[in-house]
Amino acid sequence: MKMKKYVIAIILSLIIISSALARSTGCKEGNCENGYGKWVYTDKTTYEGEWVGTKKHGQGTETWPNGYIYRGEFKNSLWNGVGTLNFPDGSTYEGEWVNGFMNGKGTFTWSDGNQKTGIWKNGKLQE
Amino acid sequence: MSNENYLTKLKGLPEPIKQFGGLISIIAFIFLTFFILNNIFGEGDELVAKMKAEEERIIQERKLNKLISSLPSGVLVSFDGTENFKLTEELYEAVCNATKLIPQRAIMGANFLNYRAHEIYTINGNKITETFVKWDKEKNKCFAGFVVSGKNVGVDETITVSGEALSFLSTGIDTRVYFIKNF
Repeated sequence: MKMKKYVIAIILSLIIISSALARSTGCKEGNCENGYGKWVYTDKTTYEGEWVGTKKHGQGTETWPNGYIYRGEFKNSLWNGVGTLNFPDGSTYEGEWVNGFMNGKGTFTWSDGNQKTGIWKNGKLQE
Repeated sequence: MSNENYLTKLKGLPEPIKQFGGLISIIAFIFLTFFILNNIFGEGDELVAKMKAEEERIIQERKLNKLISSLPSGVLVSFDGTENFKLTEELYEAVCNATKLIPQRAIMGANFLNYRAHEIYTINGNKITETFVKWDKEKNKCFAGFVVSGKNVGVDETITVSGEALSFLSTGIDTRVYFIKNF
C-alpha cells in the first residue's frame, strides 16, 4: 500500500515537472511556423526571428545561455549568409556563414581589439 | 633439571593465574600472527599514504562543496565587461578546481574554431570521450577541454580541443565550464 503511494507520488511529480518544462519551452511569442516568432529551447537557448515552414529562415537572433549571440541570416535553421557572432568574452566575428560555420569573407575581432580579416573556411582563417 | 623445576612451579600455580597467563599467551600469539601476515601481505606505509591521500581528498572536496554552495547561482566570469558575477583570482582558482562538467553549449562553442572536432562530435552522436578542467599554476589560468574520437569517413580519429575556461555556470549544486576560449 505504501509502495503504491510512492509510485503515484513519483508519477504525479514527473507529470508536474514535465508540464512546467513544456510551458517554459517552445514558441513563446508570435508565429514559429511561418512568420516572426520567438522560440525557447529546454537549455534556455532562444531564437527570435523569421520562420518558414517551421524552420529558422531569414533574419534572426539566436542567443545561447552561455553568452554566444548570433545575429544575422538563417537558412534551413542553420547560420547561413551574413551574420555576426558575439562570443561570451566580447570577441566577435562579422562576416559570411555557411551551414553554421565561418565560411567566406569575415572579420574576427578579439576582445582586446586585435582584428583579422580574410577568407574563412569552416571556422579557419585562410592565411 | 631446572626446566622440570620450572614446569613444576607453573603447574603449582593457582588456577586463575594459569588461566590469565593462557589468555595473555593467546593474545600475544594473535598479535604476532597478524604482525607476520601484515609484513608478508600488507601494504604497510603505502596503505597509510593512500589512506592519508584519501582523507586529504575528502577534506578538499568538503571545502569545495562549501565554496560551491556559497557562490551565487548563475554565470560566473573571470573577465570584466559583463553584468555577470566576477570571480576574484582566489575564487577563480577554487571554482576551476571544483569544476568537472562541460555542458554541450560550451563544447559547441569551442567547436566553432575546430571544424574537424565538430564533425566527429556530430557524426558520433555528440559523444565526448573525455573532459578535463585544470588549474595551471605557472600561468595562473584555468584550462578546460574535451576529447572527441570516433570514425570520420571510415577513419578513426581523436581530437583534443582545449582552451582557457573563462566563464562558469553555478547551479547551486555544482559548477560547469560555460566558455572555453580556444582562439
